[in-house]
Amino acid sequence: MDPLADNPFFVLDLTPACTAIEVERQAAKLLAMLELGLAAAGTHASPLGRRPRTPEKVREAAAALRDPARRAAFEPWATAPAGAAPSAPGAPWPEAFAALTWWR
Amino acid sequence: MTRHFVGFDLGTTNSAAAVFDGEQVTVVRNRQGGVLTPSVVRINAKGVATVGARARGFLDSDPANTHGGFKRLMGTRKGLRFAAAGVERLPEELAAEVLRSLRGDVADQFGFAPTHAVVTVPALFEVPQSHATVKAAKLAGLEHVELLQEPVASALAAGWDRTEAGWWLVYDLGGGTFDVTLLESREGLLRVVGHDGDNFLGGRDVDAALVDWIVRDQGLGLRREDAAHAEALRRLTAAAEEAKIELSRANEAAIALPAALLVDGDAIEVDCVLDRGTAERLALPLIDRSIDRCLALLRAHGLDASALRHVVLVGGPTAMPALRARIAERLGVDPAEGLDPMTLVVRGAALHACAALGSASPGPGASPAPSPSAAARNVLLKFPAMTTDPTPPVLGRCLAKPAPAEVRLERVDGGFTSDWTPVDAEGAFFFLAELQPRRANTFRLEGRDRDGRAVTLEPSTATIVHGVTIGDPPLARTIGVALASGGVRVYFERGAPLPARRTFVHHTVEAALPGAGVALRIPVVQGDFDEAHLCRLVGAIEIDGGALDRTLPSGTPVEVTLSLDRGGNLSAQAYVPAIDEAFESVAHLLVPEATPEVLEKAVAELHERLEALRRDAFRLQLPSMVADVDRAEAELARCRAGTTATRGGDEDAGQKARRDLLELEAAVTALEAARRWPELEGDAREAMVWATSWMSSHGTPAESRLLEDAVAQLEQALAQRNPRLLQLQSRHVRRLGSAAFHRWPGAWGSMFEYAASRVHEATDLRRAAEVVAQGRAAQGRGDRDGVRAATEQLWEMLPSDVRTRARSHRSDVR
Repeated sequence: MDPLADNPFFVLDLTPACTAIEVERQAAKLLAMLELGLAAAGTHASPLGRRPRTPEKVREAAAALRDPARRAAFEPWATAPAGAAPSAPGAPWPEAFAALTWWR
Repeated sequence: MTRHFVGFDLGTTNSAAAVFDGEQVTVVRNRQGGVLTPSVVRINAKGVATVGARARGFLDSDPANTHGGFKRLMGTRKGLRFAAAGVERLPEELAAEVLRSLRGDVADQFGFAPTHAVVTVPALFEVPQSHATVKAAKLAGLEHVELLQEPVASALAAGWDRTEAGWWLVYDLGGGTFDVTLLESREGLLRVVGHDGDNFLGGRDVDAALVDWIVRDQGLGLRREDAAHAEALRRLTAAAEEAKIELSRANEAAIALPAALLVDGDAIEVDCVLDRGTAERLALPLIDRSIDRCLALLRAHGLDASALRHVVLVGGPTAMPALRARIAERLGVDPAEGLDPMTLVVRGAALHACAALGSASPGPGASPAPSPSAAARNVLLKFPAMTTDPTPPVLGRCLAKPAPAEVRLERVDGGFTSDWTPVDAEGAFFFLAELQPRRANTFRLEGRDRDGRAVTLEPSTATIVHGVTIGDPPLARTIGVALASGGVRVYFERGAPLPARRTFVHHTVEAALPGAGVALRIPVVQGDFDEAHLCRLVGAIEIDGGALDRTLPSGTPVEVTLSLDRGGNLSAQAYVPAIDEAFESVAHLLVPEATPEVLEKAVAELHERLEALRRDAFRLQLPSMVADVDRAEAELARCRAGTTATRGGDEDAGQKARRDLLELEAAVTALEAARRWPELEGDAREAMVWATSWMSSHGTPAESRLLEDAVAQLEQALAQRNPRLLQLQSRHVRRLGSAAFHRWPGAWGSMFEYAASRVHEATDLRRAAEVVAQGRAAQGRGDRDGVRAATEQLWEMLPSDVRTRARSHRSDVR
């Protein structure tokens, strides 16, 4: 998961101060909202702008925050202001080489 | 009406059913009064099937018409023959007989035949094995099935009454499989941290070791590779199993067969005594193998045995006193008491059915669907059927217009009533419900309009059970698509939470032609390796040429979607936008056959590679590598024995050997990578320099921070001399470098020139030449998008070599 764009705290709309039970509750709520097709659940804020939110992303985010080691790795990134302007124009295409099978 | 949630434990040796009513779990008794039904099926001359204890009684006297242990063959094409009826049944068909019998037992005791149920599978079951289990359940009459990993089920049942925080191991040694699961309990939540295990280590391996001892002790001269000895070995195995069980309580057990064994035409009486010390000595290497897996699992998560708070034992073989003592000795924690190792899995399955499936009996379901009642307004309600959270969310959306203005949730015992909550513009509302602990809590939903008049809602009730729940179970092994380049496009990483669904776009490497035969093959592999040939082929999406009405040129995009349910059951779909056609249910899921010829060839190849490694180790004077090679040779000897047993008709041993050989090949490849360490180290350092250089000139601050992290991890891999980690981190560093590289205005031009220099290798020379011309024209116009498009098209036409394709499970996509 990208620590900026898809940081689990941003995906779940939580702060690094949240408890384990809040992670479960928020994940359950967002999954239910997505199943009900509610517009508010469709995207989440991030420092790179709003990003799509899917059930898979919610599950992955909850799984990441359940693991204390992974959670700790995401916490510093979650302090970046969500909703800030997107990155510079001509955004990179980091998948390029992999897509061209230069690596992997 | 009481709601019921049903779980089935489909075991190698025994199976069971349990029913949860929201507060209590009841293990279902079968018609013989027992809670365990032997997983044995007999089919008589009239084609009538008998299941369980009655069938097991015929295993000795009528082996030609009675079969057990078929769980180990699930997902294979291996039909089991019933001579009298003259029929052959696949393993999943026999499993269906067992499930049908258990379903009947539930009907006898509870008055309904379940249509929804959870069925447990080993955590390390591969995709075809899980798929076969679902097929078995459907054949048995279940309409909605969810698979659950056995250790997760055990953990749920064991954790139901326990709230202490800490690390747990669930050690599950069944008849044929071994699973170990690491769990963490924290803030009342149970989390599966990781799995390990051996799909082919179980109580039967202990029986086999005892049989080998009897054969040696009595000088019987029986050979597993000789089909003529199979009957005698089977009878000895049954006697060994009985002796093993007796030795759990006694110091000695007599092994006396009621009738003489026929060996090469001679009748041989077997009458000997096995003492507990001998049995323990024979079982110890197998027990140690299982404990080694436990320690490896702990190490993989940065823990050691001292961190453990509980070890929960599951499965019949865990009754062995030697096993319990050895676990206490090596893991430093006594196994938890008061839990029945034989029914823990099925209890957990029934508990999970509540959370996952809803009621299996008639009455209000756990996730009620709107009904077409004329007077009521239909509502979609979403809430967890079972949860650890004392205040879980309850959400709803009104489908009928006009929606009520406000809604309220009230617990029927009167202990909780929410405020009136406005319904929003989308017709949605949200509550946090308050639960009574360890109870089934039923809530009533009320609505009113703007004038305060009551509005009837449908459904108007919701029941939530407060209890232990488990986070989404993690995937045991990485799943992806094999690429023609020999690599793997990972769809789901090991540890990914289930269920999961993911789509990637691939491109064909050659033209796919209409007509007979397979036009396009997309192999699905499972394993934690970057190279496809080291992963297990678990299926293939094959698009038949007959389904195509025209040729698909090389480079045609194909959108592949893989989905996994909570039990790891895989479904696949391929969509070809060029013809606007989706190919559903095309995954061809089977465990590959393990013929002696294929296995022997693999053994010979591995032996040659190990010999080459040994020569290098001596030449380079690396004693640690010599030791590694020795260990691998010992493993290879075990695989060779399994291959030999396959010659004697033991398909089970063949499947075990097939898997062991794959594991061994991975280990040998790791050794070869270690031999290539200087080359890998050079590549990694080059990647660091390249990425750092581009990052300094074209990277963003965020990317620079990520690169710093990746470089630090790469340095760690270098310090640990870990080839796998090094390759992984090198890839991350290169990807970050490529992000910066692509900001350079000349990036695509440079890549275009490189691709154009290989144009003579293209699969379609005429088209490739046209694309090169288009690319040159785009360069002339300064059209960067045009250059990029031309480069991508050229890459799609550049083929992989034949050898690489063969090692990619014959993949047709990149």
